[in-house]
Amino acid sequence: MQSANMLLKKILRSSVLPFAAQHGMKKDLFPLSRTLSLSLCLKQDKSCNPSEKLDLDVWKKVMKSGFQEVDEMGSEHKELTTLAGARELLEMWRLAGRLVPENISEEQLKAFMECPSKSAKKKYLKYLYLKELYKKNDKRKMDEKRERRLQTQEQDAKPQETKRNSFICLWANSMDKAYNWRAAQSMIFGQPLVFDMSYEKEMSVREVANTVKQIVLSEGSNRRSVDPFHIHFCNLKDDSLYHKEFIKHYREAWGRLLITATEQCYTDIFPKEKLIYLTADSPKVMKTFDHNKIYIVGSMVDKSIKTGVSLARAKRLGLETAALPLEKYLLWNCGAKNLTLDQMMQILLTLKDTGDWKAALEFVPKRKYYGFVSKPVHELKKTLNLINTLKLGVSHKEVRKQFAKSYSKKLMQK
Amino acid sequence: VQPPEKPLQAEEWNRLRESFRSPEVFEEVMFNSMVRCNSPIDVAKSLLTHVAKSNGDIAYNLLIKYLALCVQQGQTSEIRDVYEIMKIRFKILESGAYNLLIRGLSNSDQWRMALTLLEEVKKIMIPSRTNYESCIKAASRHQEMNLAFELYHEMLAKDLVPTLDVLQSFFDFSRGMKDAELQKELFGILLYLRENQIYPHKTFMRSIKLWFESIPGGNWRGYLTNIKESGQCPVCNRQLEDSDLTEEEYNNLRERIIRDVIHGTDTFRKTSPQEFEAFQTFVENRLPFDIVIDGLNVSHIKPRKMHCENLFDAVNCLAKDNGRLLVLGRKHMLINSSNWKRGIMKEMQSKADFFFAENISEDDAFLLYATLQSGKHCKFVTRDFFRDHKACLSNSLTRHLFRKWQLIHCVKSKKMFLSVFIQQPALRYDCVVQTTGDTWHIPYKDTFEEKYSYEVPRKWLCIQQKL
Repeated sequence: MQSANMLLKKILRSSVLPFAAQHGMKKDLFPLSRTLSLSLCLKQDKSCNPSEKLDLDVWKKVMKSGFQEVDEMGSEHKELTTLAGARELLEMWRLAGRLVPENISEEQLKAFMECPSKSAKKKYLKYLYLKELYKKNDKRKMDEKRERRLQTQEQDAKPQETKRNSFICLWANSMDKAYNWRAAQSMIFGQPLVFDMSYEKEMSVREVANTVKQIVLSEGSNRRSVDPFHIHFCNLKDDSLYHKEFIKHYREAWGRLLITATEQCYTDIFPKEKLIYLTADSPKVMKTFDHNKIYIVGSMVDKSIKTGVSLARAKRLGLETAALPLEKYLLWNCGAKNLTLDQMMQILLTLKDTGDWKAALEFVPKRKYYGFVSKPVHELKKTLNLINTLKLGVSHKEVRKQFAKSYSKKLMQK
Repeated sequence: VQPPEKPLQAEEWNRLRESFRSPEVFEEVMFNSMVRCNSPIDVAKSLLTHVAKSNGDIAYNLLIKYLALCVQQGQTSEIRDVYEIMKIRFKILESGAYNLLIRGLSNSDQWRMALTLLEEVKKIMIPSRTNYESCIKAASRHQEMNLAFELYHEMLAKDLVPTLDVLQSFFDFSRGMKDAELQKELFGILLYLRENQIYPHKTFMRSIKLWFESIPGGNWRGYLTNIKESGQCPVCNRQLEDSDLTEEEYNNLRERIIRDVIHGTDTFRKTSPQEFEAFQTFVENRLPFDIVIDGLNVSHIKPRKMHCENLFDAVNCLAKDNGRLLVLGRKHMLINSSNWKRGIMKEMQSKADFFFAENISEDDAFLLYATLQSGKHCKFVTRDFFRDHKACLSNSLTRHLFRKWQLIHCVKSKKMFLSVFIQQPALRYDCVVQTTGDTWHIPYKDTFEEKYSYEVPRKWLCIQQKL
């Protein structure tokens, strides 16, 4: 059947028969193809019984018909500008089922074209696609919510006597006032906390954006806390990428923010001996939270973990460093020991209020650790060894290997 | 879902579609499984017909999937038809369709059309290396070697890395041709292998051998062999190229290591300027060393033993027949502890020079510096492959120099029964494709799969010209 069709098509193509005749001729020619196929391959023939004539190439006709004009239009537009060409390409990719956003702005298109490699392009498109998807979902949820609210309002529309309440209703507005009052107090009496804004060169544009997002979150949780820190943004240059991102987030509120933003370095503002640089690479582990010290947090998101960058900075300035005692309190599972800035802020705030490590380290993401360590690590290690040797008869070496999995080498040496 | 074995009528498709969990993606899922099961294209056609009749249109992704099926089965005329339809319906096509079209057409007698499609792809983006691969193979299959080489050079100019397959096809299809220009091009490919330290696999090596032997009037003969320890080829008795870096390469590497690995973006990341300076003067005063030992690394060789014992064994063993030793360590080794006994440390310090870096500094950087500074004869002992340091080097050429140097100068220590160190003899000859004009020596891999990057092949193809 198939080979017969092919033969037919070849005859049609070979201009013996004009193209226009194709549609008309085909029906008449079909009986011929049937006999041919009968003789050629009997097996296939059984699959189609003659009563139901299946023209397998109908779809081609359908696709070709009615689009001839489009083709002419297309040929006029052959000379596409590169930008329009890229847009066109994206549209085709979308049709082909790739992860490509539906709408793309001029700027995003330019950013797309500036991506250095194919994989970078793909990644950027996926990022835009997911962003679009989240936005759409959010919008849908908002709409649904509004509808529901309208419905409930209609139901409750009947006039009711005004409720009497002995509590004053605190609106967000007045809450803000209370928070701001606290933050203002912290600016005079509060313990300083420094964000070191000198890592712009170490980061990509997206990492800077993430950093600022995290700082905005930390500033928010600081403002809402009982006893806020006096936040300092040090080394923050005007017109730096950080600054631009801050303005994008805060808009006009940036000027009213109850924090200290300065171009100066923390070493110029505070006495050196009072400063402690917090970094995961530090060999020193923080034991207690000191209310008289000034802690510095590096404002850096390093997706490709760059070890030793902030430690190098502290070394250069001759500052004391400290790392959170994560290994002492948590049975670490996986993931890097560097935490996000907002997690750091939460941990520091809790420490400041309570001094309780367990409560503070609740803010470490749960996926990163198995649980809290109840006893000191070396005791735990001893009991683990004992249990294993007694129960399983596992040799000392293997136990060690197993242990090494959950503990870094550092601990083993101690 | 299992695709049907024969073309179905519209009603039958409808029935199938309704019984499917999510009817909206039915066609897509069905086409996917058709491609997977390699169903006859008539079945696919009947589904397309059904879709076209009920929707009046066929979505682009379905067309692509149908095209994939046609390419898989080499249905050239169908591929052409789909292409025509796509051209009518869409202003431009995207890379996925072009990939399929080029692949499909280049394997057929209409391979020239693949070339025009390649030109079309160039208008919208850089073609992928598989696009070029298909076209080059098609051209060389039809003995259009000039065209194939043109495409090959175009591809290289676009920084695309050709697959070994493409390179092999050049040798396969040039067999028996007498053409000086062609010969030059193929020698060019061999030099490309040399420059990029690519080792051909066994079948590729065979293609090279056969091509050499087929050159009319060339009198080339190829032999498979193993090169002697000394670097002499047992077949032609020639000495292979020396593996030592040239003076210039060596100096270049040393400067790069100081600049990229030790200083990097910030000297404070690995050490501090004061410490590095102190180390520099320490090394300058005691140069040259014969062996530099990574103290901490060596001390962990036997986990049951005390760290300092391990190190002590190593130092003793190496001190016997070598000259000056330098052991690098960290300051914490000097503090008396269960693993580091002060007495033993004292004794060791009389046998070798020691430098203790700060506990938070990286001693590897010092190891590299001291070895490079001592000169070409100096070796170092460690189990570390220094991948992280290699990654710090800024360009691939230096990275390769580093690897070459590392292979030669790293004394890998293998522990035997009682901590006796075997020094693996470093290769004396350079393991790359090499020529002297009338001979070629080509190292090859025995298997297809990649060896560990630090291992080099031991088998060679020796080709010589009998005049």
